[in-house]
Amino acid sequence: MKRVALNTIGVIVAVLFAFPTYWMLTSAFKPSGDLLTPDYDLIPLSVTFDNFVSAFTQPGFTVHLTNSLIVTLGAVACSLVAGVLAAFPLARLRFRGRRGFLLLVLIAQMAPLEALFIPMFLLMQDAGLLNQLPSLLLVYFAITLPFTVWTLRGFVQGIPYELEEAGMVDGLSRFGAFRRIVLPLLGPGLVATSVFAFITAWNEFLYALVFMRDSDKQTLPVWLSTFRSVFGTDWGAIMAASVLYALPALVFFLIVQRKLVAGATAGALKG
Amino acid sequence: MTTTALPVVPAGTPPAPPRAGRGRAGLGERTIPYLLLAPAVVTMLVLLGWPAVQVIAISFRRLDLGELVRGEVVWVGLDNYRAVLADPEVWTVTLRTVVFTASVVAATVIGGLLLALLMRHIAAGVRVAVQICLVLAWATPILATTTVFQWIFDQQYGILNKTLVKLGFDSFAGYSWFSSGASTLTVVGLLIVWQAMPFVCFTIYAGLLTAPKELYEAASMDGASGWQTFSTVSWPVIRPLVTLATFLSLIWDFKVMAQVWAIRQGGPDGESTTLPVLLYLKGIAGRHFGVASAIAVLMILVLLVLSIRYLQLLLRSKEGDLS
Repeated sequence: MKRVALNTIGVIVAVLFAFPTYWMLTSAFKPSGDLLTPDYDLIPLSVTFDNFVSAFTQPGFTVHLTNSLIVTLGAVACSLVAGVLAAFPLARLRFRGRRGFLLLVLIAQMAPLEALFIPMFLLMQDAGLLNQLPSLLLVYFAITLPFTVWTLRGFVQGIPYELEEAGMVDGLSRFGAFRRIVLPLLGPGLVATSVFAFITAWNEFLYALVFMRDSDKQTLPVWLSTFRSVFGTDWGAIMAASVLYALPALVFFLIVQRKLVAGATAGALKG
Repeated sequence: MTTTALPVVPAGTPPAPPRAGRGRAGLGERTIPYLLLAPAVVTMLVLLGWPAVQVIAISFRRLDLGELVRGEVVWVGLDNYRAVLADPEVWTVTLRTVVFTASVVAATVIGGLLLALLMRHIAAGVRVAVQICLVLAWATPILATTTVFQWIFDQQYGILNKTLVKLGFDSFAGYSWFSSGASTLTVVGLLIVWQAMPFVCFTIYAGLLTAPKELYEAASMDGASGWQTFSTVSWPVIRPLVTLATFLSLIWDFKVMAQVWAIRQGGPDGESTTLPVLLYLKGIAGRHFGVASAIAVLMILVLLVLSIRYLQLLLRSKEGDLS
């Protein structure tokens, strides 16, 4: 009896947590005539792709999508390169300042970015980068880097050192062994880390709002936040645009979600 | 960055050989770790460290649009801080932010804890369903969530008002959730809790799974009640995780900006403005960089206290291992 009650609560919780995402999806596929009605319609009766067409043909959608992709993928690439370079000595070499650097990474991970956008705005203005995509790319690089370094270091540590040793016995140099043996084994770690970085940068809102004053330089999230002036009350198209925006993050997230819980308290991943 | 290095040896977990490479410990080899770390260090110092120094410097300057255009540096000492602390609006917003943060964190952590405990006691099928739905909520990007919440809470055609009317609460027909600051912040708070609870729940649940099975068996053989089992077996295991999650949530929710801004830009009439929104309005929209920086510094001080405590806890746990 108690078990039935607990399971019922479980089901209710599941429904509550799934509902907003469910509602976003079904609204996106509903004909606009079915949306703005007083009818009670939890389950869609007919399906249309019109909303996606109108979201996609909205002036600017592809521009904002491209902007988001450029800054996100650019930041992920920079982060991975700098991250791999740093992860190797942190995991494999002992040198003075190693602990200090690790502490710096942890502190950088906690940096209160929401309180630093004013000096960052002025910095980018001085650099002549305001309203330019590279400004966002750089900031997203900096935001995702600490986390990337920390996680990649963990992945490198997970690869047995004996493998490199064997390689070096066979005549590879220290770095040859890293490149030929560790780097290929690092594949899954690189995928997981870049997915985290992608989601962080893809979600970022505040700096995109602060840096990009021209509407054609905005990223998708900022554009979505102005939906009332873009779409009016065309909720179907708004939901379709939200679905298109959410899709890459959702897919990537599902790929790596198991790894997220394990490292979550160390590398805070949240929007 | 200093280049006086100790001999470079690997730091793998197995006993490492005394020296990397092939016995040449030339200057080149000793600087290699620093060369490899350089890109990361430079990025973090320039893009995170420098702004952190600058925000303090700017908070002691008068820097409005005029000074910015003319490139003037006007030091005003503590004037900005005096102005900020004498501004009743700042106090109202601070109080609102504190209450908002406390409520959101309490709801997130208590909800996440209860949900984690619930997950232990439900059928495997239901548990998987709950986990999938939690991941969905966690993974949906913030800005997609804010738009769908506004649709759910829509005054006229929102599904929530329709449901409430169907359940017999007729007063919710055409009820506007965004007409007052308190109710706007309630919606924002719900949104944040909905999105943050899965993380807390999964973290605590992962901790619960590490509690030795034998202890639960022993507890049930001794006839311990549910509460006794929780307080003597589960709680000691998950307490560090609950503390970490609480601090992390405090840090996140105190500085949350995107959701508040995207929903109503701090409106109606500034009633749902929190500290980060105020910072944006004064600094970027109002171009009072000096005053806004003073607010930012005060915010950072609060976050600093929380973060130091969090780092201490983290370093004590395994996750923050610096070896």
